[in-house]
This record gives sequence, structure tokens and C-alpha cells, in this order.
Amino acid sequence: MHEYASAAGSVRALDDVSLAVAEGEFVSLVGPSGCGKTTLLRAAAGLLPSKPASLRVFGRSPDEARADRTMGLVTQDPGLLPWRSVADNVALTSEVTGSRVDVAALLARVGIERFAAFHPGELSGGMRQRVALARALAHRPRLLLMDEPFGALDELSREDLRLELLRIWERDRVSVLFVTHSIREAVLLSDRVVVMSPSPGRIVADVRVDLPRPRFLAMESEPAFAALVSVVRAALGGARPVGLSA
Amino acid sequence: MVLPPLCALLVVLATWEAWVQLRDVKAYLLPAPSAVAVALAAEPGRFLEGARVSLGHALGGLAVGTGAAFVLAVVMAHSRPLERAIYPLAILVKVTPVVAVAPLLIIWFGFGPVPKVLVAALITFFPMLVNAVTGLRSIDPSAFDFLRALNASRWQIFWKLRVYAALPYILAALRISIPLSLVGAVVSEWMSGDGGMGQIILIDNGEFDTAGLFGAVTVLAVIGVVLTALVAYIERRVLFWHESSAGL
Ligand SMILES: Nc1ncnc2c1ncn2[C@@H]1O[C@H](COP(=O)(O)OP(=O)(O)OP(=O)(O)O)[C@@H](O)[C@H]1O
Ligand SMILES: [Mg+2]
Repeated sequence: MHEYASAAGSVRALDDVSLAVAEGEFVSLVGPSGCGKTTLLRAAAGLLPSKPASLRVFGRSPDEARADRTMGLVTQDPGLLPWRSVADNVALTSEVTGSRVDVAALLARVGIERFAAFHPGELSGGMRQRVALARALAHRPRLLLMDEPFGALDELSREDLRLELLRIWERDRVSVLFVTHSIREAVLLSDRVVVMSPSPGRIVADVRVDLPRPRFLAMESEPAFAALVSVVRAALGGARPVGLSA
Repeated sequence: MVLPPLCALLVVLATWEAWVQLRDVKAYLLPAPSAVAVALAAEPGRFLEGARVSLGHALGGLAVGTGAAFVLAVVMAHSRPLERAIYPLAILVKVTPVVAVAPLLIIWFGFGPVPKVLVAALITFFPMLVNAVTGLRSIDPSAFDFLRALNASRWQIFWKLRVYAALPYILAALRISIPLSLVGAVVSEWMSGDGGMGQIILIDNGEFDTAGLFGAVTVLAVIGVVLTALVAYIERRVLFWHESSAGL
């Protein structure tokens, strides 16, 4: 449970949300704008001043998990340091956590090894997000928290990055909590799609995605995929125009 | 890039020279540029020594004033209550004319460099304080969240994020504070008259040696230009990543 207090009054952003992400599971969080997805993610990362006692990350409080550096964070705005090269941006994680990081290997894993010496200002939005992903994975976190990481990208880069993330995840099997506005993206990537409703945020559905792995973009045209998309859309309220968030 | 302003300067000097020669303007009112050059060449040692002393006062004051301001800014950027407590005092320092405080400082600290450095420090303090507080706060929230999610310490966030975010603001403050530090140095040298360009101006003024006075003004202008150009150079080298340098 989390409330935002401000001059305009307090907003109860979350209400009795209980969400478990299993080890190595990919869980997406979808819901209308303002339903509290970002709040939930930031609470899990231990970034909110109020500390809901009920929130657990691998059985511990978010603050304890944060102290152990079990999490990596990727947000819609990549938040890279513009004065550092790509390689140095990834090295930032090892500077902070003290963990040994093979920067070159990480860059290769997200497909930007050729841009190691570039600065963020010289990269496209898609490449910047790859750097942010490499940076968040550098200390081998058990839980990757992603808040609309591809939300600001064009459709083509977005598909590239979905695929890239699928490949990385299918190899490493890190737990992922992934916030998105795209139902199709959620279904394509996830083991489970959790649907939230607004004010205050509550979980209204938890849809298991049993499509086989490895997954491919072509799966989007399969009937099983379409069926899952409709299930999630129905949980979101169904009344919304088809295609809006696909 | 240097050529157009240089041409403009030459045009101004030529017009000035011609005006003085043709209209036969009295030398004590407005000396010709050539007369100023002669005055400078006549006593190079005097002007160089004056420049050295004034530069020492100005840079000393700049270091003390902006240094103290930065340290205070670090404190204020980390604590809103402390910011609210300190800010009114800082404004008090800002709105009090240094010219009014300088005689007091001379009474307290006597002759010698201390009161001059303090006057230059007072006058450079506020621009750095305000800019540094803003700069240290101007961090990218996503980068901040990322570092906090990694459990980065305040210390790490300061040295890896805040200081860099503040750099453009700090350099902008230096651009403002450098000419101010020269003002502080010269004003306090006027008052105690024991060396520096301020004293040269005072003496030449008393002797109606307007050419010498213009010589002193020229030396100060050159110092100001060189120091500002130095900051601009550092800005270009250090802030290549900042949008302010995109057009350079
Ligand atoms: N810093 C804040 N101060 C006050 N209220 C906030 C703050 N951040 C979020 N809220 C409120 O909390 C609720 C949930 O916000 P949140 O950002 O978690 O939603 P979201 O699901 O991530 O939305 P979106 O899909 O648009 O990103 C909203 O009603 C919002 O107005
Ligand atoms: Mg959000």
C-alpha cells in the first residue's frame, strides 16, 4: 500500500497489491495510465520513502534487497551519464557495486560493442536503451525491474529490442518485472501478464502465457497469441477500442 | 572567429585616434590610443607589478569566495531546511554593496592583501552559490534512480553524478565571478592604496595623467578578457557532452 501526499491531497496509489515473481520468471505489468505500475516498481526497488511492510523481494524487504544489490533498473528515459562513453557508462555499475564486470562482453551481448567509445549523445534512442540494459545487467542482478523501457522508441527499434531482451533473458533467466503499455509486447515476452486497475491500483487478473520458448516475433500471428491478447484486453476492461494498445 | 571582433576593435581605435588628432582633444580629457600606448611603454614595470598584485587579489578572492560558496552549496543541495536557513543570509551578503563593506574590512584587517582578497571573495560568492546549488540539484532523475537502486552511497552519487551535472553551472558562475573579482580587487585597492591597479588609477587620476589611467584600464580589460577566454576554453574542453556546447 502506498500513498502520495502532496499539497493537493493524498493519493492512494496502491491498494493491497500482492505480486510474486518466481526465480527466473518474466512477469509483465499492464494497466491504464496512472494505475500505479511505476509506483509498484519503484516500491520494489526500494526507491519510495514509505516502506510498505507487505512488500517482499526474494523474501526480504526492498531495502534489504537493495542493500544486497539484487536488482537492476531500466526506465523509459535511459538516464545514461552523457559525459561518459558507452563503456564507462556500463562500468559505472561496477564502480558503484564493486563487482567485477566484463564491459566488452556485456556490450557484445546487447549488440553495441562497436559503439564502446561513443558518448550517449551520439547514439540513437534504441542504442541508448541497449546501454541502459547492459548497465542494469552488469552486476548480475537476480531481479531486473523495467519501466516501459521501450516506450519512447520507434516501432522498429522496439521490435529489435524485444527480440534482444528475449534472447538475453532466455539465456540468463533472471527474474524480470516488466511494465508496459503494449499488450502484445507483454504477451510476447512474458511467462505471466499481470493486469492492474486504477485508483487505487489493484491487481485484477494474472494471465499465464504458455506459449513455447524460444519465442519469435512471428508468433504474434498465431491464434494462441491472439487468444492471449484478447484475454488480457478483456481483463483491462474490454471496452477500449481494439488496437489502441497493441 | 577572432577576426571580426578584432576588426571592430581596430575600427574603434582608428576612429578614436582620428577624432582626437583632428579635433585636437585635450589629452587630460581623452588621450589618443597612441598616447595610451606610449604611457604603457614608458613604465612597463609599474603596470606589470600593478597587474601582478591585482591579479593576486582577484584570483585569491575568487578562490576563497567561490570555494566557500561551493562548499555551502553542497550542504544546501543536500538539505532543504539548511538551504532555507542559509539562503537569506546569502542574500544579505549579495544585496549589501561591497563598496560599503570594504572600508570596514580595511579597519579590521589593516593594509596588505587580506581585506582585498576578502572584498573580491564577497563579490564572487553569491553567483557561485546560487549556480552551484541549482547545478548540484539538476541531476537526471532516471540516472539518480538507477544509482539508488544499486544502493549507491551519497558520496558516490555526489562524485559520479552531482558534480558533473553541476559543472556547466559552475563554469557559468565563474564567467560571471571573474570580472566581479577584478572589480572587488580594484575597489579595495583604491581605498587602502598600497599597490595594485587600483592604486595606479588613484595616483594617475590625482595627477590628471589620463593616458596612464587609460593604460591601467587597458591592462585590467586585458586581464578580464584573458581570464574569461580561459574559462571559455575550459568549457569547450570539459563540457563537450552538454547541450550548451552543441552550437560551438
Ligand atoms: N510523485 C508523485 N506525487 C504524487 N502523486 C503521484 C506521484 N507519482 C505518481 N502519483 C500518482 O500515483 C498514481 C499512480 O502513478 P504511477 O506513476 O505509479 O502510474 P503508472 O501506472 O506508472 O502510470 P503510467 O502508465 O502513465 O506510467 C497516479 O494517480 C499518480 O497521479
Ligand atoms: Mg509509469
